[in-house]
Amino acid sequence: MPFLRFLTGRVLKGVLVLIAIAALNFLLIRAAPGDPAQVMAGEAGAADAQFIEQLRQRFGLDRPLLEQLWLYMKGVLTLDLGYSYRQQRSVASLIGERLPATLLLTGTAFVISLALGTVMGALAARRAGRWSDSAITTLALVFYATPLFWIALMSQIVFSLKLGLVPNVGYETIGANYTGLNRALDIGRHLVLPALTLGLFFTALYTRMMRASTLEVAGADFVKTARAKGLSESVVARRHVARNAILPVVTLAGLQAGQIVGGAVLTETVFAWPGIGRLMFESLAQRDYSVLLGVFFVSSAMVVLFNLITDLVYRQVDPRIEVGA
Amino acid sequence: MSFLARFARNKGAVIGLLVLLAVVVVAVVAPLTYPQSPWRLVGRPVLAPFALERFPLGTDTLGRDVMAGLMHGARVSLLIGLVSTVVALLIGVPLGAVAGYRGGLVDDALMRFTEFFQTIPSFALAIVIVAILQPSIASIVLAIAIVSWPPVARLVRGEVLSLRARDYVQAAVTVGQTTPRIILSEVLPNTLAPIIVMASLMVASAILLESSLSFLGLGDPNMMTWGYMVGAGRTRLIDAWWISFFPGFAIFLTVLALNLVGEGLNDALNPRLARGRGA
Amino acid sequence: MLASLVRGAAAATILGLLSTAASAQGEPKRGGALQVVVTPEPPMLMQALNQNGPTNMIAGNIYESFLRYDEKLNPQPSLAESWEISPDQKVYTFKLKSGVTWHDGKPFTADDAVFTFDKFLRQEHPRWRPIVNAQVDKIEKVDDRTIRFTLKQPFGPFILAFEVATTPMVPKHIYEGTDYKANPMNATPIGTGPMKFKEWRKGSFVHLVRNENYHDKSRPLLDEVYFQFIPDAASRAVAYETGKVDVLTGGAVEIFDVARLSKLPNTCVTTKGWEMFAPHAWISVNVRNGILGNKQFRQAMMHAIDRDFGRDVVWSGYGKIPTGPISSKTKFYSAEGVKTYDYNPAKAKELVKQSGYKGETIRFLALPYGETWSRWGEAIKQNLEDVGIKMELVTTDVPGWTQRTSNFDFDLTFNFLYQFGDPATGVARSYISTNIVKGNPFGNVGGYSNPEVDKLFADAASAPAEQRQALYTKVQQILADELPVLWLLELDFPTVSRCNVKDLVTTAVGINDAMRNAWKQ
Repeated sequence: MPFLRFLTGRVLKGVLVLIAIAALNFLLIRAAPGDPAQVMAGEAGAADAQFIEQLRQRFGLDRPLLEQLWLYMKGVLTLDLGYSYRQQRSVASLIGERLPATLLLTGTAFVISLALGTVMGALAARRAGRWSDSAITTLALVFYATPLFWIALMSQIVFSLKLGLVPNVGYETIGANYTGLNRALDIGRHLVLPALTLGLFFTALYTRMMRASTLEVAGADFVKTARAKGLSESVVARRHVARNAILPVVTLAGLQAGQIVGGAVLTETVFAWPGIGRLMFESLAQRDYSVLLGVFFVSSAMVVLFNLITDLVYRQVDPRIEVGA
Repeated sequence: MSFLARFARNKGAVIGLLVLLAVVVVAVVAPLTYPQSPWRLVGRPVLAPFALERFPLGTDTLGRDVMAGLMHGARVSLLIGLVSTVVALLIGVPLGAVAGYRGGLVDDALMRFTEFFQTIPSFALAIVIVAILQPSIASIVLAIAIVSWPPVARLVRGEVLSLRARDYVQAAVTVGQTTPRIILSEVLPNTLAPIIVMASLMVASAILLESSLSFLGLGDPNMMTWGYMVGAGRTRLIDAWWISFFPGFAIFLTVLALNLVGEGLNDALNPRLARGRGA
Repeated sequence: MLASLVRGAAAATILGLLSTAASAQGEPKRGGALQVVVTPEPPMLMQALNQNGPTNMIAGNIYESFLRYDEKLNPQPSLAESWEISPDQKVYTFKLKSGVTWHDGKPFTADDAVFTFDKFLRQEHPRWRPIVNAQVDKIEKVDDRTIRFTLKQPFGPFILAFEVATTPMVPKHIYEGTDYKANPMNATPIGTGPMKFKEWRKGSFVHLVRNENYHDKSRPLLDEVYFQFIPDAASRAVAYETGKVDVLTGGAVEIFDVARLSKLPNTCVTTKGWEMFAPHAWISVNVRNGILGNKQFRQAMMHAIDRDFGRDVVWSGYGKIPTGPISSKTKFYSAEGVKTYDYNPAKAKELVKQSGYKGETIRFLALPYGETWSRWGEAIKQNLEDVGIKMELVTTDVPGWTQRTSNFDFDLTFNFLYQFGDPATGVARSYISTNIVKGNPFGNVGGYSNPEVDKLFADAASAPAEQRQALYTKVQQILADELPVLWLLELDFPTVSRCNVKDLVTTAVGINDAMRNAWKQ
């Protein structure tokens, strides 16, 4: 069965890439100055060298680097992401706790941007050269070209502080103890600003992409044939053009869906969203190696997974395409 | 129709080009207009724009001239954008060309290598690289280049794959030209158009990426950049909007201009697509 | 036996008087929840294993030690109801309060205390370790409610060691015989304090609830406290403005935002509650590196740096310009006969020339602690460039800073240290030559060495109380002339809160044990 062969081939390649990434990340991170023992001693505001050495032994940092790498890789192969001595918790549980928040945020942002982006891009392409095209393209660029952290704070000031519409930070109202539907609504209100901020950036990308690919498809032979058959312009636009134009957008989106899991660092930081992007940045700042490696591993795994899904979707939409090539 | 004429038909692209030229001029004349370091504490802190004629864009939290910072910032921001793009091209183009031309095992290995870099979340990777090497202009350029070359490699590989089978390439092979020579003289020149378009957008992304790194405290502390100015002034948005607004607007304008120019180049270099504009 | 006796009871009466004075503004009210911002998120809440600033702010309300300290650093009863110090200042005897229980219901006894001081903290606590190993001869249980310390020699600051972050009491029944660091109970800390641990949602908040069985039946007053974690300083300020939080602890918002927020209605700002720590900021000078070993050059830098600008502009007017190594908030401070340095670029240029400086680049390592510190570094770099010194600013993240500073890999570096109430614990460590050890960013990293200073500090630590001042006055005079480091500012970390949150900061450690007395009107 070619499909099964294709699938196992892809999965195998993905796993190999992941293993290589895990090893590289390990070495990369260990090249950074400072180590967790020093950081912890530093935070306590006092330390003696013996105390730091004691911590290092504890963390296993006194062993040869290659031995540590070997132990880490053995863990990775058995899907054991290790233990954070700093936080006294297993890395899997630390990430597991944060992952849903990130998936909710990036998922929402992703859906918003994909929907908005394809619609706006298609519209702009149909009106190519006219003022509405320029308006859409420029608007998309505004969101693309303004630093995200600036938009983030600006939106907090306007929508939370001045207008009082939505909360500015956090995942839910702390201490309110909502349950069921009320809790969902509460989380939704907190989600508005971060999801829009993150989503608008990607909307800009998809709009541009969709516009370009719509223009390309519109000139293709099969569209001309459809027109020649006397189909109405809107039917052609919907059935023939949009359907095919969306393919490259889906590819790009598939690549990025994984990327934004790890790339939501800024959004999560400014909006105090308890996701893994923030966890990654904080553990880097504390040299909490195992957590940092864990986040890298999980988000890389996501990318591999999303790419695989995109390929499968692609095969469904357009079986002519040789994906494995 | 000539390339220039095709480019000029796109009004946006022309405007973009003019803006870009203006930014370059600003960057060039900055040391003449403001010969002193933009870091100097020259006035009362947090002066609003035009509160004093001397400071048309006001001063920042320490009393540094925002206008001077903006002009000197143009130099460094453009430099970071250009150099990191060049470095990314230097990695991505040869890699993609060899992979596409050779095919087979070489292609497979090189593409796995590329995929490898595309799989690690790029912004996170950039943060880690700068943290490891310590923030400096060189480490920032390197980090940006490392996270932005894979799409270049993929693009070039795709183009080369389709060119490889063309007659003139095959002719060169039969004549017995060496592979590097064929790639350099026959294949690459024909992939130039999409590369140029992509590069114009990469400069824009690089400027944005630098500002994000700067915001996280990973900028070069000895270099005045727009990213630094936005990051440092952002916390005063409520009571001193001008400190971050002007550099933010400068980033926006430049990125916008680069995008417009990129689009114009696209239309001018791919006349087949430009017809789709139906103008 | 003649014993200088400090009666806890008497001190308690004074506290009682204070609280009557406080109640003039309204009778303390029970109930309510408090939302507090703490930053950054701590790694853990087991205070005997981690004394990170944010850990202390939260866990200081879960754990307790023998004593508490008022803002003049006078000891007050906590788990110890009275204590006495022998006339030779070598024997400390503490009488514990009766009826104290752990949060799991087990009684707190002298056995727990001995275990904590002698076993747990001796092994784990970076500040108690040197004290117990160098100064303490033995720790004994006299009876179930009495514990006695015998010192090897008198040690002035010993009485300050019974603060909650220095010696938090840990339950023997949970930790004895276990691997302390790996004990699963570290995740759900058990103390004797006014607040009990309820929940920690990582990345969001820690939830503490009222300890119904607290040994002071009239306390605590609050039902619950949430400590929230918001990583971005500007967003924290907006969260306060939109009413999401009631208290911004010291350092939670950038200092210029404190000035802005203080003008909001129902907002109170206090700089109290940091007397025990008295954070002292300076630039460490690596005197090993060429010209930096030259006293004239160091004095030139001191004249070149506009310290008033630092306080007034960078720190929004908060803090005080120091005169030397000892903070004016710490015991034995003296400005008598010390050399002073005004902002005088002309004089600085002159001194630079005299020092024989040849234009070598000085690398200045900035402290990665947020916007205020970054701006300060930029301003000082500019000050020094203005007098003709070639400067290069070096930035890195916190681990990078710790690594470089503790390995002496810098020319100049920012630093700020807590003084812990007494020069023997918090000041001497930065100047004595025995503390020039790699691997510790809080040692004498600049490498300054002066036998006379070493001797003065050593003598002062063990001298009888009444002789210490003279020794410390002398040491302050010497150091102010030699400038092993460039003192910049006695830092203030103001606490911003809604004015209807009462009695929040009542001790020398402020927020760290605030939830015992705090209440909401």
